[in-house]
Amino acid sequence: MSDTAPTVVSVRDVHKAYDDGRIHALTGMNLDVEQGEWVAIIGPSGCGKSTLLHLIAALDHPDSGHVHVYGRDLDVIGDAAAYRRSVMGLVFQLHNLLPTLTAVENIELPMFGSGRGRHERRSRALELLDLVGLADRANDRPTQLSGGQRQRVAIARALANDPPLLLADEPTGSLDSDAGRRILDLIARLRDTRNLTTVMVTHDTSVATRADRIVEMLDGRLAEGQGAGASPGAATGRLVGARMLADPAGGTLQESRHRGGRHG
Amino acid sequence: MTFPSLVLRNLLRQRVRTLLTVLGISVGITTVVALGAVTEGMRQTSGAIIRTGNADFMVAQNGASDFSFSTVQQSELDRIAARPDVARAVGVLYNITGVGGNAFFPEMGVRPDQLPAIVGRSTAGRLLSGAPDEAVLGEGAARSLHASVGESILLGRTRVRVVGTFRSSSRFENGGAYLPLRTVQRIAGKPDTVTAVYVTVAPGADPKRVAASIERDEPTLATISSVSEYGKVDQGMTMLDALQLAISLLAVGIGAIGVTNTMVMSVLERTREIGILRAVGWSRRRIMTSVLGEGVALCVLAGIVGMALGVAAAQAIMLVPTISSFLTPVYAPAIFVRAFAIAVLVGLAGAAYPAFRATRLTPMEALRHE
Repeated sequence: MSDTAPTVVSVRDVHKAYDDGRIHALTGMNLDVEQGEWVAIIGPSGCGKSTLLHLIAALDHPDSGHVHVYGRDLDVIGDAAAYRRSVMGLVFQLHNLLPTLTAVENIELPMFGSGRGRHERRSRALELLDLVGLADRANDRPTQLSGGQRQRVAIARALANDPPLLLADEPTGSLDSDAGRRILDLIARLRDTRNLTTVMVTHDTSVATRADRIVEMLDGRLAEGQGAGASPGAATGRLVGARMLADPAGGTLQESRHRGGRHG
Repeated sequence: MTFPSLVLRNLLRQRVRTLLTVLGISVGITTVVALGAVTEGMRQTSGAIIRTGNADFMVAQNGASDFSFSTVQQSELDRIAARPDVARAVGVLYNITGVGGNAFFPEMGVRPDQLPAIVGRSTAGRLLSGAPDEAVLGEGAARSLHASVGESILLGRTRVRVVGTFRSSSRFENGGAYLPLRTVQRIAGKPDTVTAVYVTVAPGADPKRVAASIERDEPTLATISSVSEYGKVDQGMTMLDALQLAISLLAVGIGAIGVTNTMVMSVLERTREIGILRAVGWSRRRIMTSVLGEGVALCVLAGIVGMALGVAAAQAIMLVPTISSFLTPVYAPAIFVRAFAIAVLVGLAGAAYPAFRATRLTPMEALRHE
């Protein structure tokens, strides 16, 4: 699979510092993510996981190095808003839903400016609510939903414009294990049914094991011994096929990826 | 959900603050509308005075600070009347006196033989015969004074006999009384003078040329044929216009500060939300449109409230008999257009800075905001 699937995200020697260079969040980070791949980025707090995700989301710019998504250099991207609207969907640890809007209205938000009319926006939002299993909660406000339900609405919102790339920053971080499992099930289903590429940041190894590949970061870069890419050969050392970790029966990373049948 | 409904919903999040801002801005709009209606009414009253007796134009003292202070000498009136291009020149002396509760009762002195040229026929009784103590009341004045033909009434400190009534479309004229010119000259202490001369040109003569010729021959006088020229003989209208402009500017300034304050607070409170909107793909322009839209919506709402209150205020002013005796507020469409334009301008001006601030935030700054 990795021989043929196109690279969606390419991060090359990216540096990023804050506080006038006092805090080095990224120090030469490299990463490749392929089409339809679910990559979990793990590492201790402050290792630069979220910073990396924000750079891929074009919410911030690297100090040096390059981030390419679908071949486009995000540093010279003309319309970052259009990129965020159409190429990627972003899920935060805290759902970040607007409290004054209902679930369905929150999902409509990214569709403003997408060329969809009012009725089309509503119809699409309801369809997505159904997809995340909350069709009956369309008119509830975030305060009327549980944490897991809010996060499902947030995922639905991230998918509003049918982006090929989902970026999730600790999507289960504020949820109990049952609600967290459902969110991960949903991401897996989206990968399997929509060939959605997902980059997920988490500090929880048990959550990371649901992904196709785990990338460990340390001090603003890949932890020692890891390659940026996803070739089966790279699944050695600390770059471990996630499903190998999850599946005691073992098998190669490539085998475990095909198990879902998503690239078939 | 539409974009405008989203904008309006943001306004409803802080209902009390929105309400107070709307009320604050609407005070300015109220003043603009009320003053506009009163000024327009004054203009109409002035227009009616200019057209007294269906004259071609009016002649009064050039540069008078107020029309009522205008003085035209009898000799000047005689020279105008004697011109071959003038068919008729009627001199009228206006004197304002107190009658009952009305401190603004117009007494109008005219030569008795010229009164028919001004008011036509009497609607009851007769017109002036020449006796010094006679008065012909406008129907409005007769109603407000409860006076009928044959009764004796007190105008200021002068007792007169009501010999008839007349009807006029001018509220000013209809709310006053015509007396013999000499009687009013005596009451006002202005012998051999009139306030204005109403000129009807001779058949075939061009009123504009005649007016220009009179202005050349009588340099202390000015001719007025339309309300726009009224400023030549009454600075009051000019002052009212200036006052209206000043109040409009004040309304814009004060309103804009109110809107800026409200919108800055609103943007500050919603900084994180703005970050979320940027993160889900809203452009800077859409964020700016949203904030500007809120400001304009706030002010349009204030404009509607202000217009309603302005009409109510103008009507309330009319409850004062002194004012209502000579003035009717005129709600010209231009007043409401101006008020609406001011409201929109206030909204845009007031929301411009907060909108700019909102767009300057980077998504990360906004998302980090607690």
